[in-house]
Amino acid sequence: MSVFKKLGGGLLVLGCAGLFGCASQGSESALQQANSSFQSVKDDSNVLRNAPRDVIRAGESLARADRLSNYWGSGADVRHYAYLSQRYSEIAREHSNEAMNQERLAKLELERQRLQLALREAKLLSVQQQGKWLEEQIVSLATTETDRGLVMTLGDVLFDTGEADLKSSANRTVLKLVQFLQLNPKRVVRIEGYTDSTGARQDNLQLSRARAQAVADVLIDLGIDEKRIQVEGYGDEYPVEANASERGRAKNRRVEIVFSDEKGRLGAAR
Amino acid sequence: MRIQSLCAALAILALAGCAADPAPTEQFRLTEQALEQAKAVGATDDVPELKLAEQKFTRAQGSMADQSFKNARMRAEQAELDARLAEARVLTQKSQEQLTALDARIIRLRKQLGEVQ
Repeated sequence: MSVFKKLGGGLLVLGCAGLFGCASQGSESALQQANSSFQSVKDDSNVLRNAPRDVIRAGESLARADRLSNYWGSGADVRHYAYLSQRYSEIAREHSNEAMNQERLAKLELERQRLQLALREAKLLSVQQQGKWLEEQIVSLATTETDRGLVMTLGDVLFDTGEADLKSSANRTVLKLVQFLQLNPKRVVRIEGYTDSTGARQDNLQLSRARAQAVADVLIDLGIDEKRIQVEGYGDEYPVEANASERGRAKNRRVEIVFSDEKGRLGAAR
Repeated sequence: MRIQSLCAALAILALAGCAADPAPTEQFRLTEQALEQAKAVGATDDVPELKLAEQKFTRAQGSMADQSFKNARMRAEQAELDARLAEARVLTQKSQEQLTALDARIIRLRKQLGEVQ
């Protein structure tokens, strides 16, 4: 009996010492670390605002670890709850960082939309100005403001005599025309062919129409919608000069391009 | 004698109490869920917290098999929070990347605007 008693007492003392050792070592520093992490998130108003539940859990786990540290033999439990508290504090901070990033993202997205809109407007304005510049170019090149509207004249030199095909020397003018029509998508045109008075009337009508169509075809090939283009042939009608001289006849052989206004309103055909 | 035997009885009771921890099946479910969620947002083993979570959960499963339920529960609890932290870190990282990209876009837009105007 007395041997058993001694043995039991010895074991008890040993066990207590072992448990005490565990409780004092490691768990104390884990508790301190968890505590300082908790303090730092608790005192951060951003974290409190963005992740209140995680902060509360960090506090609860810490309190539990703290309570357990008063008992002998609880080292492992103290370290466990200190670890959980530490993790909750870290999670709270991480959630808060993410929430603040999201807030900033929302603000920047608004800013991006505003800038994009401004850029689009600025570009549109510059294209319109460019369009106006082109318009001025075309006006200065070969157009006249008439009672029929803005009229551009392609002279006789752009066609071979008696032929309807446009010469390559017309390319520059045609390209400018295309550019102008692309920048002014609402404008439409009427292409009118004219001849001098030499030759049969019927032939002249046909040639004038064929030449106007040749110009229209090039515009269509370059991407202008054919719905925006009307084609007329007037033969030797409406001369701009007397047909008596060669110079006068050359002036009368021409293709005129009549532009609508910006809203697509085109004057009536002759 | 009396006090000693009382102490011994208490110690045995305490140990018995530990051993009688129920199997932490609910905690295991939570931990699995947290691990899945972390992976769903794109956490990989490159995130140290996720690796830690998986190691701890494996050990928790070992403890569970050994009927060491208290160890199983504690390891699973830690694994759950490790996984949650991994998930939060990945989400923060992603929003940070979005911020960087958006900042760059805004700078580009401002520059273009300056050129047009």
